[in-house]
Amino acid sequence: MPEALISLRDVSLGYDGRPVLQQVSMTIERGEFLALLGPNGAGKTTLLRGVLGLIPVLAGTIEYGFDRLASPPGYVPQRETLDPIFPLTAFEVVLMGTYARLAPLRPVGRRQRVKATACLDEVGLLHIASQPFWALSGGQKQRVLIARALAVDPEVLLLDEPTAGVDAAAERTILDLISRLNREKTLTVGLVCHHLPLVRSLVHTAIWIDEGRATKEPLDAIPVSAPVTELAGNPTGSG
Amino acid sequence: MSTLLEILSPSFLLRDAVIASVLVGLVCPLVGVYFVLRRMIFFGVALPQVSAAGIAFSFWLYRMLVGPHQHGEAPEQALAMVGSFGFTLLALLLLVGLERTGREMIEARIGTTYAIAAATTILILARDPHGEAQMVNLLKGEILAANETSLHLMFYVLCPVVVLLFAFRKQLLLVSFDRDMATVLGMRVTLWDALLYLTIGATIAIGVMTAGPLVTFGFLVIPPITARLVTRRMLTFSIAASLIGGATAFAGFYCAYRFDLPLGPAEVALASAVLMVVAVGNVMRVGARRRRAT
Repeated sequence: MPEALISLRDVSLGYDGRPVLQQVSMTIERGEFLALLGPNGAGKTTLLRGVLGLIPVLAGTIEYGFDRLASPPGYVPQRETLDPIFPLTAFEVVLMGTYARLAPLRPVGRRQRVKATACLDEVGLLHIASQPFWALSGGQKQRVLIARALAVDPEVLLLDEPTAGVDAAAERTILDLISRLNREKTLTVGLVCHHLPLVRSLVHTAIWIDEGRATKEPLDAIPVSAPVTELAGNPTGSG
Repeated sequence: MSTLLEILSPSFLLRDAVIASVLVGLVCPLVGVYFVLRRMIFFGVALPQVSAAGIAFSFWLYRMLVGPHQHGEAPEQALAMVGSFGFTLLALLLLVGLERTGREMIEARIGTTYAIAAATTILILARDPHGEAQMVNLLKGEILAANETSLHLMFYVLCPVVVLLFAFRKQLLLVSFDRDMATVLGMRVTLWDALLYLTIGATIAIGVMTAGPLVTFGFLVIPPITARLVTRRMLTFSIAASLIGGATAFAGFYCAYRFDLPLGPAEVALASAVLMVVAVGNVMRVGARRRRAT
């Protein structure tokens, strides 16, 4: 029997009281690998931010099958949202993931450093630990942010367009990494994606988002060749 | 050399002014690093001016309600602190609140705030001829007149600021770098922002009272920008900014005393000269590295 990790019931999400998505009901099960698909501006990031608790739920309820304070979701934002002016090494960025378990006045100790080191190693970037974060390539930055999310010890990893703006090789490395984390650590993964063929061989299920609605669809129902933007209003691509 | 020894002597006549200068130089950059990192540098121009308006307003109000105050005495310091801190914090919260509702007008709002604060200060001074001379000196940053009372006030205000900034640097950094991540981790970002704004308000208030708006703005911004050019880690960035601020404040005091220059402008000019030297050195270093790579 699959275990429900996140359940949405008649949820409305939006900004400034105006809903972008309405009456969203679905269950995300432990160990699932989901892609959030849909046309530009449909509300993929809105759904992700709603599940993360970054925007208020306008109606309905979201229930979590885990303690969000003890084990917060692992969040990987779009890397462009982070300002390169901050003088931080890759290691310092990953270390931020350990702050969730640190009391406000407790300094970062050996345990947190070991954890951050292990997470950087997990994403294959231990060798660049002391390099400035802003000087890394797009793909490396994204993997450092995944390492930071892993340092939280999350039950679920949520990524906002992790492959946007990176070259094909980095794209493959990032997706292989996420896929491995899902497979080997049974980590539940949800990622916002524009390019369906890229994730088709990796994800199990898709959440199709369009015209204010979000529905969970088996990925097999979506044709391999169809680009996401052409599927607007028709997630299965049929007729 | 003899001038340096004279300044360092415990019996130096302006010893309190040296200590006050160095304290402002050390602490303003610690707050200023967050101005630079959060891209709030223009706030650093407007807020010291708002702080000055707060001082002028509190003096005027006191005179209207109670009567003239005694210059250089503790009640005057407390009065100035309340006005300065109150106005600074209020303006900061207002500007930050408006920023959240729309970034496109931010420069216009800060510019308007600066103009209103500067005009208000002058108008209030013009309405209070009794204390005008005293207030003009205070608003200019009468750092040479720093005395034991003002040093005590500085210690009481700036020590907690330094302790808070270092004790909570993890939280302040995460909230500044990635607000969403901080929220996901369960941090109360509004409370951490409030703590940062309180430290900013207190530092600017005491800085303006002691050294004036020009020096306060200069040391809020110039040492952190200089330090950013030569550091790669957050902790070293903060420490370097503070040390550069303290060292240039002391060296500025030395230059002003040795060459009979106005103190505040001498300190800011020296800090700017250090920034230019470091920036040029940085450009040359990067250029040399690129040449080696090709």
